[in-house]
Amino acid sequence: MIDHLPVLLVVVPVLGATVPLVASLYTDRAGWGVAAATMLVHAVLAALLAQQVRTGGVVSYAVGGFALPYGIELVVDGLSLAVVALVSAISLGVLAYAGQAGPHENSFYSQFLLLVAGLTGMTVTGDVFNLYVFLEITGLAAYGLVASGREASAAVAALKYLIIGTVGASLYLLGVGYALAATGTLNMADLSTKLAAAGYDSTLVLTAFGLMVGGLSVKVALFPLHTWQPDAYAHSPDSVSAFISALVSTVSAYALARLLFSVFTVEFLTAVPAARWALVAVASVSIVAGSALAVSQSNVQRMLAYSSVSQLGLVIAGFAVATPIAVLGATVHLVGHAVMKGGLFAASGIIERETGATTVGGYAGMGSRTPLAAGSFAVLALGMVGVPPAIGFVGKWYILVGAIEAGLWPVVAVLLLSTLLTLAYFARLGERLYFAEATIRDEGAVADGGEHTDGGTTVSTGMLAVVVLAAVLAVALTAAVPALEQLLTDTLPPLLQ
Amino acid sequence: MSADERPGLYVESTIIMTTVRVVAPFVLTFALFIMFHGADSPGGGFQGGVIAGSVVMMLAFAFGIDSTRQWLDVRVVAALASGGVLVFVGIGLGTMALGGQFLQYNEYLPYYSKASKYGIELVELGIGGIVASVAIGLFFLLAAGFGHAAREAER
Repeated sequence: MIDHLPVLLVVVPVLGATVPLVASLYTDRAGWGVAAATMLVHAVLAALLAQQVRTGGVVSYAVGGFALPYGIELVVDGLSLAVVALVSAISLGVLAYAGQAGPHENSFYSQFLLLVAGLTGMTVTGDVFNLYVFLEITGLAAYGLVASGREASAAVAALKYLIIGTVGASLYLLGVGYALAATGTLNMADLSTKLAAAGYDSTLVLTAFGLMVGGLSVKVALFPLHTWQPDAYAHSPDSVSAFISALVSTVSAYALARLLFSVFTVEFLTAVPAARWALVAVASVSIVAGSALAVSQSNVQRMLAYSSVSQLGLVIAGFAVATPIAVLGATVHLVGHAVMKGGLFAASGIIERETGATTVGGYAGMGSRTPLAAGSFAVLALGMVGVPPAIGFVGKWYILVGAIEAGLWPVVAVLLLSTLLTLAYFARLGERLYFAEATIRDEGAVADGGEHTDGGTTVSTGMLAVVVLAAVLAVALTAAVPALEQLLTDTLPPLLQ
Repeated sequence: MSADERPGLYVESTIIMTTVRVVAPFVLTFALFIMFHGADSPGGGFQGGVIAGSVVMMLAFAFGIDSTRQWLDVRVVAALASGGVLVFVGIGLGTMALGGQFLQYNEYLPYYSKASKYGIELVELGIGGIVASVAIGLFFLLAAGFGHAAREAER
């Protein structure tokens, strides 16, 4: 069984997803238990895989036993291992949160497990077409999850997400088609050599790069292509926004990095400076515009959503700089942002349940009314700004050092500016939480909270524990950075040179 | 919203009912034909599944959506969807149990000489079941409209 870990990581959640569907013929509340059991198995498999990669290096798996590069290959190296572990851990956290916060329907948990399967598949695959298939599974499950909100606005947000997300996935598929036409192969490792043979300046290769990167940028939600994201995050149930804000864009950004380093490789970026500059430009614009839009929001969840546009721009900028230290920084920030943003959305959900506050104005004086949730929110927000010793600092610092080493001064300027802007919107929230007079009366909370038809206004220990754990992790993960660096240098030497 | 609140939506027509009764078996056969051709010629579970699902839609147009919904047990739809996934995953895990990789069909060869071909056919049938049940489920959900969703929310 130990040899089959990569494929089992995908198959187990798929298998788990069928159980709530059948169970719903008998009971309406079986989903949570099934999902929790499945995710525990998933976590054990991920831990075993981590052990295997740490001792034996890169793990490769040929699905169906077909000779590579003709069959589908699954590859797990340090970068994908970090993301697999992240998916597993965050899914467990979200489950602990959703146990009380809901939704409780069986169908929700089926979609949840399908989303986990899609995300894991995107992470472990070594085949560009297989990546598209998992991208679609991820997308479809995510659209369904967004639509599981009760309000009509959730359905509209899901529809918008569906249309824009499908365009993104189609662009990516078109790009895969061009790459196939140029090389005749779909395997990532095989593509990297054959693309070089086809010539980096050939129109087919350049078009493939543009379409594939453009398609994934939609999924990552970089600036001009982010329009689906704030609605999807703000209108879906709290558990869903915590889950998809932490993982869906993150794994898409991982896929983009995988394309850059394992398919097109750093030589392509060096050979075609225009491609690198285009990516750097999109990422930089995303950083600044996302921050600026976040500053101008009054709804906290929309602010967090725009903050993701900016932070993932930062990650992509780090990958586009493509020096070893910048890639390490981008990976650290990718993981750190996922933990912090998931925690922030979960905390904002608790604050809304306990006090009814959803806007920056409403957060005034709430620090004393929900001490744990507000405290965690503040810690996570400071981590996101990049205050040492939080993980957000390490990530940004390494990206900054990488950009200085590479002499990409515009990126350096944008990075520093974005930290200031991040401080601008999160400091405003912190100031409201702790140093302002409450604008919401205590009784108002009950009246407002009544809107939650699922899960009511009660906040369970599990929900609080998840948020506090996220805040602790935002600081504690800093200690894991050397291990991650070791893992990346061990398993990705060709990638980082 | 029940059917009697919206008169005129369903018209009982002898011509449509007779045609559907004659055509339905052929469409279902064609669906299976397409599914079975997934392994070695154009076709497969996705296309065949949609055609199989369209049989139920045809019946619904001829005999009324509500009566078709009652006739088609929800358990059948759920069983098709999960059963399809289970067939796929089961065949994949079976080869692993025999010592091969996931979905390595030739592991079954010692037990059955055409295992590779019929392994793929079975997977295609599984996919067909999933696609058909999803198409049927979506059709009934859309046909039920928002009144159905509101009732669900009240429960």
